[in-house]
Amino acid sequence: MVSSFYRDTTKAFLVISLIFISSSLFSKVEKYGEVSFENRTFSEKGLFGQDKDHSSFTLSPEFYFESEDQKTSFTFKPKIRRDSLDDERNLFDIQDLSLIKVKNSYEIRIGIRRDFWGVTETVHRVDIINQTDQVESFDGEDKLGQPMINLSLERDWGVLDIYALLGFRERTFAGEKGRLRAPFLIDTNSAMYESSAENLRTDFAFRWSQSYRDLELALSHFSGTSREPEFINKSISLKIPYYGVIEQTGLEALYIVGGLALKLEAISRSGQGDRFSAATAGFEYTQVGILSSRLDLGWIMEFNYDDRYQESPLALGTRLTFNDMYDSQILSGVMRNEETGETNVFVEASRRVRNCCRLSFESIYFNGGNNSNSIQKMFEYLKQDDFVRFEFIYYLGN
Amino acid sequence: MKNLNKIFFSALFFFFLNFIHSEEINRGLEIALKADDSFSGYGDSKTNLKMMLKDRKGLVTERVMEMKLLEVPEDGDKSLIVFDSPRDVRGVAVLSHAHKVGSDEQWLYLPALKRVKRVASKNRTGPFLGSEFSLEDLSFQEVEKYSYEYLRDENIDGKESHVIKRIPLDPYSGYTKQIVWISKSNSLIHQIHHFDRKSFHVKTQTFSGYKKYLNKFWRPGEIHMINHQTNKTTTLFFQDMAFNTGLSDKDFTQNSLKRSK
Repeated sequence: MVSSFYRDTTKAFLVISLIFISSSLFSKVEKYGEVSFENRTFSEKGLFGQDKDHSSFTLSPEFYFESEDQKTSFTFKPKIRRDSLDDERNLFDIQDLSLIKVKNSYEIRIGIRRDFWGVTETVHRVDIINQTDQVESFDGEDKLGQPMINLSLERDWGVLDIYALLGFRERTFAGEKGRLRAPFLIDTNSAMYESSAENLRTDFAFRWSQSYRDLELALSHFSGTSREPEFINKSISLKIPYYGVIEQTGLEALYIVGGLALKLEAISRSGQGDRFSAATAGFEYTQVGILSSRLDLGWIMEFNYDDRYQESPLALGTRLTFNDMYDSQILSGVMRNEETGETNVFVEASRRVRNCCRLSFESIYFNGGNNSNSIQKMFEYLKQDDFVRFEFIYYLGN
Repeated sequence: MKNLNKIFFSALFFFFLNFIHSEEINRGLEIALKADDSFSGYGDSKTNLKMMLKDRKGLVTERVMEMKLLEVPEDGDKSLIVFDSPRDVRGVAVLSHAHKVGSDEQWLYLPALKRVKRVASKNRTGPFLGSEFSLEDLSFQEVEKYSYEYLRDENIDGKESHVIKRIPLDPYSGYTKQIVWISKSNSLIHQIHHFDRKSFHVKTQTFSGYKKYLNKFWRPGEIHMINHQTNKTTTLFFQDMAFNTGLSDKDFTQNSLKRSK
């Protein structure tokens, strides 16, 4: 039932799309996308004896069709991932299968899509339309396609997006053999829901956003099944994800002062225990041409607040952009939690290779912090999961 | 008292200096306004841009993008640039709303994350896509964004030219001044010397292959930029330039930025 709904919606959208395409409505057809190979090597064997090394292969072609007047477009982007170690990291997902119709005063987007909300860099609190493909990367920025109908009104008073989200996608979790996994196993085959419609519930959301010269403002509300599950014990080492129904209101603000961007994201959520609030605030500043060179150095600092915890982590990051022919860049950062004493450090470097490809290197180091047992640590179970990762991406196309 | 005298005399001195200067300032502005004639009243335009980057050793790489422009009466113009190549930046787009007064607004679209990101327009002075052009060089240069001064008349490359100095009023400009050569016969810019924050002559920009569109609007076919510090060059080719393409405000919004492919 769980996956059959998703399969059926996908099929329905595919059929509708084929009708559109065959009606030769589209004058422009483009094919692109990417193929990537990735290897992760960990410093030690996992806490549960998992292997030190694994590789994966991802294919995500993209097909784009557009009508002569550019008012109608159709996108199809599947994503296939195979992992050498963890079956739970194998994936077939439809990232996009959608039709966009642009009218004079509104725009309608129907199908499976991804949409991002938010302004901050290290934590994305407001972003809620799509489920996170958690096993893809540590930063949690990779998402699964969400079936939806989205009406977007663009007026003098701002942009109003209204969403009907058709059905629910479960979060991905690393399996038994997988790395970067929780200290317990998660039985994704028997997920439970608060809603009696289970994963077939239609959720609703809206977001109003407006630009006022130096200020960008957005207000949003989501009413539906939480993308973030709680866990129910099935046995000591096996848990079941439980997806409650929540109401979440979000605020995004970004203010530009000279070269400085001040950012704020805040949410208030009810439905999972007591109502709680959480926020991320910080700034981004770029020094252009440091030391009279071509290099730019960007600074990111973000503070976190969460009702549910005593202390929340502080993130500090730098982005060094070389502005060379290869678009070389190095992103590095530290996340520190004062309460638990935990620190994690990451470095990510990438550059273009020829016209077609990109090579990237990433490394994350987890520091366990103080030994006090009274505090629940965030990354306790990841202490043997320091890793280096290489990725080579080949971009398809002409 | 002594101090007051000093202030008084220096004020007087600057007053006279300004007086002497005002003629050059007026003449500079006049020439700049005439050169701008070709750029007002154009409505909207679309063009494909090809960039050829050449490093010191002669290694060449290419960038391809599409640029849409919309003239906004009484304010700065709107522009949308969508990258096509290299492939890893395909679909990345930059939307700008320029303003005659105050700083410009700028948004970046990152297709991999489906994210629209507002960026501080101050960060427009660095190399654009690794080229010798900055976003500032590529953006629309409103007359109101500079102060002017007429310097001299000169014949360069066989062209009788006015030479004017312009100083960017934007405190975040990457330049302290620019010397501009404007052809006397048709009021077209054919050379600019850029002086960086330390007043070094860092880059020279030359314009060629001017073509007239709709019987009124002159546009260059090629813009060449040489960086004197690195000896790297970038040549920008304008291809398939079209005017009156029916673009409107709706094509320069955040929603249209998300759709740009």
